Amino acid sequence: MNLQELAFESVKEAIEDSGVQKKEIENVTLGSAGGWYEEALPAVAINEYAGFEDVGTMRVEAACASGSAAVRSAFLSVASGEAEVAMAVGVEKMTEVDTLTSVELMGRAGSYLWEFENYGMTFPAYYAMYAVSHMNKYGTTEEDLARVAVKAHHYASMNPLAQFQKEITIEKALSSQVVSWPLKLYDACPISDGSAAVVVASEDAARRLTDTPVWVRGIGFSSDSANLSKRADYVGLRATVDASRKAYAAAKVGPNDIDVATCHDCFTIAELMAYEDLGFCPKGEGAKLLREGQTEVGGKIPVNVDGGLKAKGHPIGATGVSMMVEISKQLRGEAGGKRQAPIKNGVGLVHNVGGTGHYCYVTVLSRSK
Amino acid sequence: MPDVGAPRTFHSKRNLNLRFDIPISKTSRFWDALSEGRLVTTKCGDCGRTTFPPQIDCPNCMGGNAEWVELGTEAELLTFTLVQITPTSFVDHDPYLVAIGRLKGGVNILAWVEGGDPLKLRPGDQLRVEARKDAQGSPYYVFVTA
Repeated sequence: MNLQELAFESVKEAIEDSGVQKKEIENVTLGSAGGWYEEALPAVAINEYAGFEDVGTMRVEAACASGSAAVRSAFLSVASGEAEVAMAVGVEKMTEVDTLTSVELMGRAGSYLWEFENYGMTFPAYYAMYAVSHMNKYGTTEEDLARVAVKAHHYASMNPLAQFQKEITIEKALSSQVVSWPLKLYDACPISDGSAAVVVASEDAARRLTDTPVWVRGIGFSSDSANLSKRADYVGLRATVDASRKAYAAAKVGPNDIDVATCHDCFTIAELMAYEDLGFCPKGEGAKLLREGQTEVGGKIPVNVDGGLKAKGHPIGATGVSMMVEISKQLRGEAGGKRQAPIKNGVGLVHNVGGTGHYCYVTVLSRSK
Repeated sequence: MPDVGAPRTFHSKRNLNLRFDIPISKTSRFWDALSEGRLVTTKCGDCGRTTFPPQIDCPNCMGGNAEWVELGTEAELLTFTLVQITPTSFVDHDPYLVAIGRLKGGVNILAWVEGGDPLKLRPGDQLRVEARKDAQGSPYYVFVTA
C-alpha cells in the first residue's frame, strides 16, 4: 500500500463516520514529517488521490507531533470562522527506506552539526540520556521501564488496529537487545506505516452532523531547545510541563479531571516522565503510579489503553491524529471491551511530543461543550 | 475488500545522495581554535551571556558584539548512553559512549567519551574535554574520564 492509499483509508473512514459530505470540507491539513517516502508534496498527492478539489491545503511539520499540529490548524480554521468544516490527516510511510536509514533520519532530528555530524546521536540515544538521569535521580529501574512495555502490549493485544498483537513479559523485555543503553528493543516504539484522519466542524455543523460530537476544549503547545545540551535537566520535558499548563488553563480543567489519556510513549521512559510532567503524579513518582496499576483501565488515570506508540505503532505524522481518534472513541464509549476506560467527567487528554521534547502539543477533548 | 495480493514494491532506480555544505564562516574562530587544540565559544559583549554552541548573534539581548572566550576543560557528567544500534552513516563505528557534561562556567556540551566504561560511569563523575582530529583532519572534541 502506498502513501496515498494508506491516507485514503483514514480519510474515507473519517468522512463516513462523521456523515459529512466530502464537498463540505473546505480545507485539508496534512501532518507528516516526511523524508521516508518518495513524494515531496504529500498533501497534494493525497488530496488528488482522495478526490479533493479546490481545497486549501498544506503539510505541517512538528516532528512526531505533526498530527496534533494538523488538528490544531484545522481547529483554528473552524474556530476563527474561516471554515465550517475542515479536515486534519496524519500519515507516515516509514518502511520505504531501510531500518538504519530510518535510524539516521530520526537521529538527525536535533541540532545536526553539534549532535549528529561527529557524535551520531540516535532517537533512542536521546531518550536513553533521560532514562539514565531519571534512574539516577529517582531510582526508576530497567524493570519499571519494562512494565510500561508490558502494559502497552497488553492493551495492543485487544486493539485490532495495533501493529503488535501479542502480549510480552517483563523477562522478555529485559532480555531484548540493547539499542542504546539502558533502552532495549522493547523500550522502543517500532518503525510504522499508518494514517489517521478527523473531521473538525463548527458547532452548527457538528450539531447537524451528529448527536455525539467530541469538543476541543483547549490546546496548549510549547517547545524546547534544539540542542539537548541546553536543557536544564534530563528528568522531564519542559515542553510538556508548559504545553499542559496552557492546555489545562484553556480547557479550565486540571489533571485530576482527566478520565483517560494518550501519552507520548515513543520510549518507555517517555511515558513515565509524561505522567509526572502532565501532573498525574508528583515528579519522580511515575514508576510508582505505574506499579500501582493506576494507569490501567480501572486505575486513577488510564493511559495508552490503545497500546500506545510502543505497541499500537508510531507512524510519525499519523500519531497525533490517531490519539485524537482514540480519545474520541473513549469519550463516546466506543473503545470496546476491556479497553474502554470508565468515563466520569467526560474529559480526555492527548499528549503528543515532537522529537525529544523539541515540540509538545497537549489537547483536551470533552464530551460536553 | 478487493484482493490486493502479496506485498509488492517498485524498487526506485533513482538514488538520491545528500551531503550538505554547512556554512561556518561566522563561527570560524571556533573551528580554527579547535584545530589548534583549544575550545572557545561566544560571550555577548553587551549582556554577558555565554552560549554553546557558539553563535555571534546573542539569543538573550539580540546584540551583535560577541567576544570569543576560552571554555574550561573540566566537566561534570550529567548523563550518558552507549549507542549500540548506530545510524547508517555510522555503521563502520563500534558502539560509542556519548555524554552531556557541564563545563565550569555553566555551559553544557555533548560529545563522545573516549575510553569510558559504561558500567562504571555515574552522573557527577569528573570528565575532561580534549580536542581531536579525525582521519580526514577535521577537528572535533571528546570527553576523557578524569
